[in-house]
Amino acid sequence: MSALARAWAVCAKDATQELRRKVAMVAVFFFAATALTLVSFAIGPFGLPAADRPALEAALLWIILFFAAATGLPRAFVAEEEAGTGLALRKTVPAVVVLAGKSLFNFVLFLAMALITIPGFLILLDWKVNSPLAIAATMLAGGYGLAVVSTFLSALVARAGQRNVLFVLIAFPLILPLLLTAISATIVATAGDFPTTPLRVLLAYDGAATCGAYMLAGVAWED
Amino acid sequence: MKVLKLLLLPYMAAVIGAAFLWPEPAKGFIGESSRIVFFHVPCAWASTLAFIVAAVYSAAFLWKGKPWYDDIAAAAVRIGLLFGVLTLITGSLFARVMWGSWWNWDPRESSYLLLVFLYSAYLFLRAAVEDPERRPRIAAAYALFAAVLMPFLTFVAPRVTASLHPQTVINPQGKILMDTPTRAVFFGAMAGFSALFFWLLSIDARAARLRRTGENLHRD
Repeated sequence: MSALARAWAVCAKDATQELRRKVAMVAVFFFAATALTLVSFAIGPFGLPAADRPALEAALLWIILFFAAATGLPRAFVAEEEAGTGLALRKTVPAVVVLAGKSLFNFVLFLAMALITIPGFLILLDWKVNSPLAIAATMLAGGYGLAVVSTFLSALVARAGQRNVLFVLIAFPLILPLLLTAISATIVATAGDFPTTPLRVLLAYDGAATCGAYMLAGVAWED
Repeated sequence: MKVLKLLLLPYMAAVIGAAFLWPEPAKGFIGESSRIVFFHVPCAWASTLAFIVAAVYSAAFLWKGKPWYDDIAAAAVRIGLLFGVLTLITGSLFARVMWGSWWNWDPRESSYLLLVFLYSAYLFLRAAVEDPERRPRIAAAYALFAAVLMPFLTFVAPRVTASLHPQTVINPQGKILMDTPTRAVFFGAMAGFSALFFWLLSIDARAARLRRTGENLHRD
């Protein structure tokens, strides 16, 4: 079985497990829906001055996406330890392959959440997007980076105490450059331009995070 | 080595004295506020140097497996955080004088605060991993991963958005915009703070080694 096929198998296993349990996935989507409702209830489509809207809406969108993701993405490796399957996975599949499979699952989970959150944002906040293609590119680049960094950090905290609190503590400063750049890209895309510079930064961040995570996967996950 | 340590005290005293007495205050700054450059930038440099040392010794630990390298890496992070907090305090003093507020959410201020959070998280992570065999490996992996993403926080993020911060030594013109006395004191301070960092590092790392030895004896 090739490494790619094994990574796909890990991703499919995680998807099956999460679909069977439902709790974690429902929590992610429920958090996104609650946050979205709260934001739209508090400021509504007309609660912001027109000049401030692009920046505030972009920041609010990414805050919702990040915190909703933070409830689900760290589960990647933590769930294995809680279920007692971590040792079996460590002995049978190389760490790099496990990381690839779990990152892929987290990336898909993020995109699914974005696909639900963004239409809600468009309707409830009357969000005007002049370049949907640029928003899609930002979601792909931002979501990928978020998935890789979260999955790697999940492996680091999987066998530590106070895992959930610890994950937020160590993830926030590492993910913030990605979030700031994604917000900049979203502002530019909302105005109708293509955010070339922020997207280049996002892609560079994704590349650096991927190299770092795959080089250190063995150290973080294996004994 | 001992002589160098003894010389550091009069050297730092001379640098501090020169910082207040020799160069004229820079143009375009309120009062004497530009003199903060002799303390703020060297603190930021010592902090960055500490985090680079932490990454190098984390890599060395993963390669060779010597616990002493982990002691040095952890000590470097602790000392780096000390200099990082001093950077934030001196920056905040300057911000109060120049911009009228202790904190302005300037991209460079914010990114430096996040850098301090990032390496504080390293210490939280070490404290949360109870297994003493696993702790240095996890800490080293985090330190190296943080080092890979650190440039985005310190170099990229502050340059993506507009900043109030004066031009840094690494500026678009590629020139050091200082007169001769300012340049002499500035680089003297950089050398002094670097030496001070290595001295503190050697003390803290040796203390960490003693603690580790004590813990091992206690376990045995």
